Amino acid sequence: MLAGVGATGTLPHEGAGRPASPARRKYLAWAVGVGGILLVLLSPALGTVAIPTGTVFAILLHQLSGGFLFSDPCSGTGVSPRLCSAWVEIVWTSRLPAILLALTAGAALGMSGATLQGIFRNPLADPYLLGLSAGGTLGAAVLFVFQVGQSEANVALPAFAFLGSILTGLAILLAARVMGGSVESLLLTGVALMSLLSAILSILLLYNPVGSLQVDFWLLGGLGGATWDRVGIAFGGVLVAGVMLSLYRRELNLLQLGPEVAHSLGVEANRVRTRLLLFSSLATAMAVAFTGIIGFVGLVSPHIVRRLVGPDYRRVLPGSALVGGVFLLAANDLAIGAFPQTALPVGIFTAFVGAPFFLYLLYRRRHAPGGAPP
Amino acid sequence: MSPALGEVRLRATHLHVQFGERKALQDISIEVRAGEFVALTGPNGSGKTTLLRAALGLIPVAGGLVEVGGRPTGELSARERARWLAWVPQEEIPRDNLPVRDYVLFGRYAHLPPFTAEGPHDRELAEAALTQVGLIDRADSGVLELSGGERQRVLLARALVQESPTLLLDEPTAHLDIGHELDLLGRVRKLVTERGGAVLAAMHDLNLAARFADRIVVLSRGRLVDDGAPRAVLSETLLREVWGVQAELREDPRTGHPYLLPVLPGELFPPRRRNERGPVHVVGGGGAGAPILRRLQAEGFRLTAGALHLLDTDAQTAEELGIVFVAEVPFAPLGERAREENRKLLERARAIVVAPFAVGPANLANLEALPAFAGHVPIYLVGGPPDADRDFTGGLARETWERLRAAGALPVATLEELVRTLAQPSALAA
Repeated sequence: MLAGVGATGTLPHEGAGRPASPARRKYLAWAVGVGGILLVLLSPALGTVAIPTGTVFAILLHQLSGGFLFSDPCSGTGVSPRLCSAWVEIVWTSRLPAILLALTAGAALGMSGATLQGIFRNPLADPYLLGLSAGGTLGAAVLFVFQVGQSEANVALPAFAFLGSILTGLAILLAARVMGGSVESLLLTGVALMSLLSAILSILLLYNPVGSLQVDFWLLGGLGGATWDRVGIAFGGVLVAGVMLSLYRRELNLLQLGPEVAHSLGVEANRVRTRLLLFSSLATAMAVAFTGIIGFVGLVSPHIVRRLVGPDYRRVLPGSALVGGVFLLAANDLAIGAFPQTALPVGIFTAFVGAPFFLYLLYRRRHAPGGAPP
Repeated sequence: MSPALGEVRLRATHLHVQFGERKALQDISIEVRAGEFVALTGPNGSGKTTLLRAALGLIPVAGGLVEVGGRPTGELSARERARWLAWVPQEEIPRDNLPVRDYVLFGRYAHLPPFTAEGPHDRELAEAALTQVGLIDRADSGVLELSGGERQRVLLARALVQESPTLLLDEPTAHLDIGHELDLLGRVRKLVTERGGAVLAAMHDLNLAARFADRIVVLSRGRLVDDGAPRAVLSETLLREVWGVQAELREDPRTGHPYLLPVLPGELFPPRRRNERGPVHVVGGGGAGAPILRRLQAEGFRLTAGALHLLDTDAQTAEELGIVFVAEVPFAPLGERAREENRKLLERARAIVVAPFAVGPANLANLEALPAFAGHVPIYLVGGPPDADRDFTGGLARETWERLRAAGALPVATLEELVRTLAQPSALAA
């Protein structure tokens, strides 16, 4: 009835054996929090177009106050009113939505990663590595290929992405139940699914070359297409997913004891896991629909959070959302700051951090004090 | 142990469980009542854990019925079932270093309305349970910092806050040392006796089962073999037939509980060539004679021994082996009666074996009685002469030993040599 998903996972989470001292944790948590706020504040100043930092903030306050403050945000820079209104346009309709989208998508991926790690009791789970992102991509690519108009796309894109990622998620859950839930077999299932999905995607693109350029750029993952509409839709979806996931935070804690123990304590383990998967797919789909595939945010964030606040999901879930958002924003700032002329896709930067981290986790698992199962 | 049994808390009726082709449980019917501690025993793979897991609804049932509180478990939600049945798994290795308090509070889940946090009442229950298992001092430690025994008690505490009238334990003491094992079972027993809980516990140790349980259920290859009071169930036959183990059934003289003493093949009771030759009188003391007594009896000699002080290892060995021996009260010098009786045994002996025993004023008489028999009966002196480390008579023992030697007693270096020597037909007097 409860075939062992994660049954073999006696694998301790990151830092499980040697908890950081409460005082150190507190300092670290504060440092991350303050750093995150500073990052959010400074991010609007970064971009391909050079705008003085003071002017950027003036523009933001001007817009936020509905024109009440800083009636001429460009005063003192000596730029023409036309250039000034271009600057306002850039900051307000391009940079700020990108920042908010980064925070939203990052939060979505962080929560989703934390939840997946909990569902499968697998510290290496992540929406990207399990193929949920690829599933979302395929769903969304169907739209690209059939060239749905821009306005419909804003709604249809996340809907199709959701369909793609939830179907992939259910396939993973089913596979985990059938094959037993060892850490490796789950990851390999993800790899196999990803190959299958990208094969289907290739077929789609082969017959519809028009969509292929669009999809290609999108596959790399980026915040370039951020608009207020998209931010609004993504935020709404992620909010729903976040609220639903946090309703199940206690169940997530209990699931960490193993599905059977959880069941004996009164958790309908299978039902709860399916629901959790549903909402983490929703969160993933929101991120994928508007930012493409951005890997490893979901893997890295929960590990950082557990270091900071411990393993309790009541704190891990919101923490992963915050850290995920900040992490993605930082990666985006790095992408802009390092190569201001090219606007490199942010997915490249998260991969540079995430892939080595993934390997580190794999290594640690093999060389953990308790030893990994053979 | 509990004469007034309450209502049936857990009942399995004609239960069948199948794993593919393998029949894991066949036609099992048992009941556990309020105020009853039932031990579930059986060899590895007999279906103990399977029965518990079927009762918990963790595995599908191929036939029959499990009822808790009068309702079939299939009709209950996980939450309802958790309020009826609490489970202490054999071992649960926590993945995360959660505070012990939080870990115990997990047991309250089934009592909380959906999406609700624990309240002060739940916290009080958790504290009470931690106090009950003696872990209140560790309430704020991380579970991974606890020892195996403490962790098992945390699981018990978690089951206690579940407030379920029935407790299922799956070899709860498998990873505990004897101290923690007795402690945990004592706590469970108390729960049953004082609070009328119903307990079904898979247990390996039959003696502990007999000690703590009101009833013992025996499974073998998925079938129920026996079910009854420990005294009625435990038997040498049962152990031989179900476990394939040779054992001796005894009774604890202090408590009256039956217990089984297992014997490895060939360890004790070897195929005896019973009492063919002898009698051989063994002179020993302080444990020096015990190996000789055991070995010579195994070799088929009829034995006598003496004189020995009661409570002495040699005396206990002789008693266990059913060997006639002369006894004296502990630590006292051998009295006239003991010496006289010993002399009678010596007169009847066909051979006398002197163990390398420590000689002191209290038992010197054993040695001094011997020269009178030298020349009439073969005397075998095992080990060397009594040197300083076992002569506490100021040389008298040594002197007597030399006298025996001069009178024709035969020194043999080892027990093996003694056995070889005695095996010869001429070794015993006619």
